[in-house]
Amino acid sequence: LSLPTPPAQLPYVPQVSPMALLGKVTATTFALEGPRCVFDGHADASDAVWLAVAFANASAAFRNPPSRADVPPYKQLPTAHSYMTLETAAAAFSCSAPSPPVLRVGSDTACRDQGRPDPCNGPLPSPGPYRVKFLLMGCGGPKAETRWSEPILLRTAVSPSTIDPAPARRGSAVVVIASILASLGAVLATAVLGALGAEVWGSLCRRGLGTDAFIRRSYRTHHIPPALPQPLRPGC
Amino acid sequence: MAKSDDCVHILQGLLVFGNVVIGMCGIALTAECIYFVSNPDGLYPLLQATENSDIYAAAWIGIFVGLALFALSILGIIAVIKASRTLLMVYIILMLITFAFEMASCITAATHRDSLTPEVFLKQMLERYQKSEPANSSDSEITKTWDELMLQNHCCGVLGPSDWQEYTSAFRLTHNDADYPWPRTCCALDAQGLPINLDGCKLGVPGYYNSNGCYDAISGPVNTHAWGVAWFGFAILCWTFCVLIGTMFYWSGIEY
Repeated sequence: LSLPTPPAQLPYVPQVSPMALLGKVTATTFALEGPRCVFDGHADASDAVWLAVAFANASAAFRNPPSRADVPPYKQLPTAHSYMTLETAAAAFSCSAPSPPVLRVGSDTACRDQGRPDPCNGPLPSPGPYRVKFLLMGCGGPKAETRWSEPILLRTAVSPSTIDPAPARRGSAVVVIASILASLGAVLATAVLGALGAEVWGSLCRRGLGTDAFIRRSYRTHHIPPALPQPLRPGC
Repeated sequence: MAKSDDCVHILQGLLVFGNVVIGMCGIALTAECIYFVSNPDGLYPLLQATENSDIYAAAWIGIFVGLALFALSILGIIAVIKASRTLLMVYIILMLITFAFEMASCITAATHRDSLTPEVFLKQMLERYQKSEPANSSDSEITKTWDELMLQNHCCGVLGPSDWQEYTSAFRLTHNDADYPWPRTCCALDAQGLPINLDGCKLGVPGYYNSNGCYDAISGPVNTHAWGVAWFGFAILCWTFCVLIGTMFYWSGIEY
């Protein structure tokens, strides 16, 4: 029984897709850039590329499975702290084939809920952080592997009760409207009360006919001009 | 005396003109407020759910104030032409009451417009959109209103689709994150109402989902509504103030 040759160490570092995608990292999924041209020269037609996902603090303890039957399944993630998924034919990532631009990890909820046989690309149960690497598996075991990625931290949602709905500052328009209208209203009220008060005061004190009235009713009067006083002659 | 008669006639003419303007503005205010109360943009369920629908109260007050202004302006014209002290005093006092109501309406509209921040709508949407057991009918109204808002304006969430990612929500309780990072109504839909590219929508590929927030679609009509009531009412009141001061001056000059 000869020892298996160790897999070739490729310098490629997997990373989250650099494209401008709003959903590339969500609470339970993340999207990786496809490892295009990475395995050319190492892959045969029958080989498969797997993605190994491990918690960031458990990536150093990850051991490549010696054959396809020993691949850690998705449901062992909580206990083994790692699993492998996204089994794809190596030909899909060769330079000549149009490679999928992004690989979405965690997009298959059906295999988690219905317990289908592995490989299962189920959603990740916790925000992580996780590290991933690609593993090229042949019939005799792992043939090549990439380096581990940087830790990928998924999003954590906060409760909406932390949202404070109060306005940041009082708008200036409200202050303008309120102050101007209040002052106008006060002036009007004062003027009306003053006018009413003056009328009541005047009728109480029985002043003469309003000699300062300048507005007459709409009836015509024959106007007799008052006689001018005779100028006093200076005493003789 | 002729000069005094001319002054009187000029003052009467100015007051009649002032009252005509008040009457026309009253009709305009009534028409504007009826338009707002008729809920043309379908946002009333959202505002009602914030327990802050005082903008609608201000519009209702505006309807009646506008009619009152129109009626009082006719009374004012008659009173000025007949130079009757009693009629003028009745006119002034009723106008003061209307002034007070319209002042309340303007200040209410302006204050409550300020309280409708994006955070108010965000919190309401996260807590009540697609709530699984609607506590009352307003929850299903809110869901319907948001769906229509997102479909018609091609928008998603209040500030953007990431609202659904940054916060937990009632929606998140019934729809898992991997299949529904945001609601399906946020996806670009075809003529049958199905997403053009569901995987593209879930990933957030530009073109397959609505990336804008809906706050602009909400705040635009709400602003028009609030400022229409508040500033137009303010202008009417400033003009009414001048007419009332002139009327009181006229009243004090009429002989007994």
